[in-house]
Amino acid sequence: MALESMMETIALDITESTKTLFETMIMMDLKYNEASLVDDTQIKTDVIGMVSFTGKYHGVIALFCSKRFALKVASTMLMTELTEFTSEVKDAIGEVSNMIAGNVKTKLMAQCGDMHLSIPIVIAGEGLSITAVNNHPVVADTTLSCFSKDPWLMTPFISNNEKFSIGLLLKESNK
Amino acid sequence: MPKVLIIDDSAVMRKIIQRNIQQSGLIVDEFVEAGDGREGLEKAASNNIDLILCDWNMPNMTGIDFVKALRGSGQKNNVPIVMVTTEGSEAKIEEAKNSGANGYLTKPFTPDQLKSKLGNFLLVK
Repeated sequence: MALESMMETIALDITESTKTLFETMIMMDLKYNEASLVDDTQIKTDVIGMVSFTGKYHGVIALFCSKRFALKVASTMLMTELTEFTSEVKDAIGEVSNMIAGNVKTKLMAQCGDMHLSIPIVIAGEGLSITAVNNHPVVADTTLSCFSKDPWLMTPFISNNEKFSIGLLLKESNK
Repeated sequence: MPKVLIIDDSAVMRKIIQRNIQQSGLIVDEFVEAGDGREGLEKAASNNIDLILCDWNMPNMTGIDFVKALRGSGQKNNVPIVMVTTEGSEAKIEEAKNSGANGYLTKPFTPDQLKSKLGNFLLVK
């Protein structure tokens, strides 16, 4: 199936998975807007929680948010007020990314076949950007699409007056 | 005196599971934690465990490899294992059951869903 025609369904899967997570384990309000394809040059963030997947299709599902939002989410999950960006906050963001990715993957598998998830990676800093490596060849099925010039399918959310986004890079693996 | 082993590479998730069990009224006297399947095997061997909760995707040794290794060892065959994981496909659930897992709970979960699943293996106050 052409990737473009799957995008609308995948965007719904991302929204549904994020809603379910917020209703069950985060217990914070959630609003969302329509997903769109965005170039990586438009991404500026403090925190990235990323899970990659491989299979007939491969790619990355990533949470992009501010440190303030990451602290709020971790504080809610742990039921304690966290004020410092500790390893516990990174762990919580990794787990949030993991739960969203896992649920999206389960929904995607009906269209995309079996996929394997990586363990989450969390990167934190100030005003982080993702820069594609120009002309980097896709050398193997498992190569992350971060190294390609493909646009992200980005779904913007608002919770607790903070913006965050869930991005997806998806690419059919070489046969 | 029920002792529960929680195997998950996320310390935050291990805390959430513990808190939910403690608040649910399920009777547990002690929690033992492990960060991957390999550590889980060591903790299972050196403790009298009554119930094991196990994630699937972990470094060093995955949850499903832990289940296969524990069941294959012939020891602790009577200790129930509940998978608590983001892997929610029918194929994974079937694989876990065929490998010796006794229950399956998909993350994210509500405290009620956790209580309901573990209520098959633990008493309620």
